[in-house]
Parts: sequence; C-alpha cells; structure tokens
Amino acid sequence: MPCGLFFETYEKDEAIFQTTFLRVAMAAFAVLLLAFPFFSDWLSGLTNLYWLGIMTHICIFVLGAQGLNLLTGFTGQISLGHGAFMAVGAFTAGVLHMDLGWNFLLAILAGGLMAAALGMIFGVPSLRLRGLYLAIATLAAQIIIIWLLRGVFEAGAVEVSDATLFGFSFDTDQRKYYLCLFFAALGTLYLKNLMRTRTGRAFVAVRDRYLSAEVIGVNLFKYRILSFGISSFMVGLAGGLWAFTENAVTDEAFGVALSVKYLAYIIVGGLGQVTGAIFGVTFLELLHWLLEVPTDALSRIFPNIFEKLASLREIVFGLIVIVFLIFEPDGLSARWRTIRSYWKLWPFSY
Amino acid sequence: MKKGLLFLALAALVCLTMQPLAATAAEEIPVGGIFDITGATSKVGADYAKGVRAACDYVNSLGGVNGRMINLESADYAYAIPKALNLYKKYVNVNKVFVIQGWGTGDTNALTPKLKKDEVIFMSASYDANLTNPANNPYNFFIGTDYSTSIRLAMQFAKDNGAKKVLFCYPDHPYGRAPIAAGKEYAQMLGLEIGPDEMVDLTATDATQQLLRMKKFAPDYVWLGGTTPSCAVVIKGAASILPEAKFLINCWGFDSNLPLLAQGAAEGRAFGILPVVPYGADVPGMKAMMAWTKGEPHTLHFVKGWVSVLVMAEGLKRAGDKLSGPGLKAALETLTDFETGGLCAPITYTSTDHRPNTTCGIGAIKDGKVVVLVGKVSMPREAKYIGN
Repeated sequence: MPCGLFFETYEKDEAIFQTTFLRVAMAAFAVLLLAFPFFSDWLSGLTNLYWLGIMTHICIFVLGAQGLNLLTGFTGQISLGHGAFMAVGAFTAGVLHMDLGWNFLLAILAGGLMAAALGMIFGVPSLRLRGLYLAIATLAAQIIIIWLLRGVFEAGAVEVSDATLFGFSFDTDQRKYYLCLFFAALGTLYLKNLMRTRTGRAFVAVRDRYLSAEVIGVNLFKYRILSFGISSFMVGLAGGLWAFTENAVTDEAFGVALSVKYLAYIIVGGLGQVTGAIFGVTFLELLHWLLEVPTDALSRIFPNIFEKLASLREIVFGLIVIVFLIFEPDGLSARWRTIRSYWKLWPFSY
Repeated sequence: MKKGLLFLALAALVCLTMQPLAATAAEEIPVGGIFDITGATSKVGADYAKGVRAACDYVNSLGGVNGRMINLESADYAYAIPKALNLYKKYVNVNKVFVIQGWGTGDTNALTPKLKKDEVIFMSASYDANLTNPANNPYNFFIGTDYSTSIRLAMQFAKDNGAKKVLFCYPDHPYGRAPIAAGKEYAQMLGLEIGPDEMVDLTATDATQQLLRMKKFAPDYVWLGGTTPSCAVVIKGAASILPEAKFLINCWGFDSNLPLLAQGAAEGRAFGILPVVPYGADVPGMKAMMAWTKGEPHTLHFVKGWVSVLVMAEGLKRAGDKLSGPGLKAALETLTDFETGGLCAPITYTSTDHRPNTTCGIGAIKDGKVVVLVGKVSMPREAKYIGN
C-alpha cells in the first residue's frame, strides 16, 4: 500500500488542490466564508466587535497583500509604495464612477490599471537597485503620489456611491463583504495559477539568483517591471474595492503606515507563499481587534486608566509580533506546513 | 496543568467580554467614542478623550438625560482611518448608537457619506468649516469656532496689531490644510502681504529649514496650523532664526503644554485661538468641572471634550423620546444662544447653518501659563461663509 503522495501524471503533480482531502477542506472553507454573514451578528453580540466589517477589510487587504507578495515574496523586490498605489486605485475608481459615470467594474479595473502604470514607472529603478536601496526609491513613490493626490483633490476626500451591477446594488455590508470576498478569492487563485506558469517560474528565478536567471535567458528588466505592474494592479484593485466599500476616499488612509503594514502582513504570513498573505492579514487584523476585547473590558473596570490601556494594547501587539517572528521567522504558512506534516506523519513522526 | 491555566484564561476572557453586554441592557443611551490616544494627534487627543469621558460620567452623576444614563462605548483608533471606519460600523450595528463623539478631520471626512446614509450624529473635534454646511453634511456638529472663522479672526488680530506681512505654516494634513484658502482670501482682503506657505509635519522635531526660508520673507505674523508639539518646534526654533515674528496658532496647537515644550520661546510671541476658556478660568461652568476633576490640571482640549458632551446632552434632553439621529439633529437645531456656563461662546445651530458660534478668545503665554489676552473676538454670521 503506498504511503504518501504519488502522482503518475504531470497534471496531477501540478494540480492546485492535489488531494481529495484538500479539495474537501477547501470546499468547507469556502462554505464557511460564504455562510459567515449569517452568523456574524451572533459573533458580534458575543464579542462586542463588528465582524462583518472586519472580514470585509481582511478580504480587501488580502487582495492587496497578494499583490505585494508577488513582488516581494516571489520576485524578491521590495516596495514601500503599495499604500500609495492603493490610493491611486481608490481615487481613480472613485472619480471615474462619480464624475464620468463609469460602471463600477470598469472603474475599479481602470483604477487597477492606473496603479499598474504608476507601479511600473516607479519599478524602473528596480533594474539597478535592490534591497534597502529599492525600498527607499519606492518610499519616494509613496510620498510623491500622496503629495500629488493631495494637490489634485484639495478637499482631501472623494465621496463614492455604492457599486451597482446590472441593477443590483452592493449597498449593504453583507453584499459588500461578498463582493470583496469574490475579488480576494479571484486574486488568490490568479496568483496561485501565475506561479505555475513560465512567467511565475521566471519571477522565482529572478528572486533566487538573478545572475543565473539572466544567463539562462530570463529578461530581468521585463520580469521585474512586469512584477511591479501585476503587483500594483492587484493593490490598485484593492483600492477600488475600498472606495466602493467605504463610500469615501481620503488620502490620509493610504499613508506610509499602510505600506509598512502591507510588508508586515506578508512577512508574518510567510514570504513567497500564496497562503502567506491570507494568514498574515487575518492574523494581524484579528490580533488587533481581539486585543480590543480585554482592553475594552478592563477599561470598564478601571475607567481611570483608559488611556494607558490603549497604549498597553499597542505594546502587546508589538510584542506578540516580535515574539512570533523570533520563533517562526518563515511566517505563519511555515507553521501551517509543520502542523500539516505532523498530522500526516502521526504517529510515526520520525 | 497547562490546559487548566488555558481554560482559566479563556473563562476569564469570556467573563470580561460578557460583562459589558449585561451592563448595556438597562434603559441607557448608547454613545460611541472614536478617540486618538496613541496616534499622530494623541498629544492633544488623549486629554480630549478624558474630557469626553469625564463629562459623560458627570452627566450621569446628575441623573443622566431625562433619567437615562449615557453609556459611552469608546476606543482608541490611533488616527488610523480603517480602524475608525470599523469602529463606526461596530457602534452603529452592534451597539446601536445614533450619536458619536468623534475626532479628526480625516476620519470625519471619511465617515461623512455613511453618516448621511445611516442618519448618525457625529460630534467631532474637527472644526473644519466644510462641516458647517448642513446641505452637504447634515449630521455633523461641533462646538468650537470653525477653523476658517478662526483664521479670519487671527488675520484681523494681526492687522489690528500692525502686521503688514503674514505667512502660513501648517502640516500637509487635512486639519492643517482646511482653513488656509479662507485665511489667504481674508488676509488679501485686509491688504496683508502673503508669503510662501511652509509645511511642518505633525511629528516634526526640527523646523530649521522652514524657518530659514521664512526669514527671507520676514513675516510679522506666522499662522501655525499644527498640533502643540509641532507648533512648539517652530516657535522654539524661531527664537534664534526669526526672533521678530509672532505666531498665531490654531486651536489644537495652543495649550498649557506649549510653554513647556517651547521652553520659554513662546512667552509673549505665541497667540492662540481659544474656542473654549482655559481650565481653571473664572466662569460659572468651570466650577462643576473643577469639582469633578478635583482640581487636577488639564489642557484646553479637556474643556473642549467636556463642552461637546454638555451640548450633546442638551440635544438629547430636548429630543425627549425621539432618540434617533434625525430626532437629535432636530433637537440640536433648536439650540439658540445656548449657554455652557461661559465655557465657550453661546451656541446656536439652525437647519441651514451648523456653525456653533463665530466668537472666540485669543490667548497668550505669560509666565509659562496660558492666559486670555482678548476675551472675545467676533465675526458677523455671514451666510456666504457657511461651509467655507
């Protein structure tokens, strides 16, 4: 009797969901996500948090983080400008929808394309610069883009109406959640598929040893720019979704802090793993909100130290992330793999 | 043993979490609070939050509003807009609030479409003039002189004190940018020469470059539109670079911490907009506040938070049984020359004008303390300035 996974065809070896168990597990996960709005109210009542809103944001950030993961995790480029690229997507989609009356789908696609164009322009230095140098170059992109947006939109905010598609309006939090979930799933599947193609392998080659990649005929410039383009497109789409979900775009929401947060998502989740972005965003967002629960409760018992408890929450958050990175530097997806192999091999863990 | 500890910890967490739910079950008025206690504007935000919380407790100690207690659900959003948006949704959907004590210009702007849709009153600490036009922002209210009126009054003050040249220095931030256009227009009308703008970040620790550029223009007065720490940085640096200039400071940049941070450089040179009186001022409304806080010193921002709750409570009282966003809006719009015991100028809201007042004080620093230099400077309530 075979023990382990043996594939007899290339198709099976390259399948996204390789085993029946995995297919069942993924289907169950999908059902859970689809059914989430039906029990989110119960969960909200229990924890005094608004879960539908939190999950919608998680979906948007997963889409953006997948974009950055493609760039940083798979192609080995760093970017501190993804907050600004998200802003470009959000403002473009908002303005095209509100001022020119574009359909929301076209508007967010245009937002993604605009972000991709800018991402490719600011990705040009990536041919010469790497690592920290490229980080600073993209940080400049972040500052320039936000500064330009502030100049163009003097009020600092653009109001956006709800998204409608063929007469169907995404006007409730529930519908907005499904919309964002759809795009997050689409982005994740796209990235998973992309990494199985020739282009995906070229990205990994550029990341692992760019000189060798060039020697075997990989066009470094093309793939680096392409990676910036696709990555910014995805984060631009996330920006467009943000505009239609929150009905307002302000430049303040897309500062340097957001770019750093995106990096934190993929580092904590696991660089170069498609599941990394999902794990990272979910873990950090949930941690942030779950820390709110004991803080909230304690501040009711000790109302005089409300301000100190708020700072304490930030400290605990930072500590957890530090401890986590020390003990699991490869991110949550590595931990997930360890757990999986433990179960697979149990009880013969040797 | 480990499992036992884990179980205990989980049980404690569940108990702590369930407790607030039981507490809110009674006849209470749920109110949301979105504060900045750890973020970019926390230097002024933390004391504002304290003021709001203290005033809610104070109102409750007097028997609440029409016999109902105010139940303030509040949290720190660390000046992060995504968090403010989620907190807002939580308050509206889970806690069923219809009135929120909010904070900054950025999050207020980001929330405006939702406020209109959900009919939720937002009493913010952003005094952006844009929010005073009920045609665009029907559910926004605040208690201080709006930034545009403040900057016009500041320009008038500069002109009256012999200024010929003015310059605007502010952070590139919605709060900083909000009144600049109004200030320039008014300064031009007064015949003042306007220098090139300078940007100083809210978290700046040095402003030498900006001050050296300002020196070329040699302004008589500089408008500072930051919060206290960044304003102190400019004033401190100006002591040696720009000693002849005086500073007019927007209401979030001027408080009792300014002389401490500017180390004497603010003495006689820094003048601030005072939408409320300083803590400890000799006005009737201060007695209750002093008694409640047992004389523990606070900044001007505490007073602002306190007044914001007093005004909200008055609205709730007038709303009677119509405890909803539209009910409270209609009630607040009946406030005419409402007195807060001298804590701020009398407040009037109408259905077409949400400017609370167009009167404020001008403060100065004397012997390291905030003093009221001019008790009352006023602009006529001109319709053309609603929302501008």
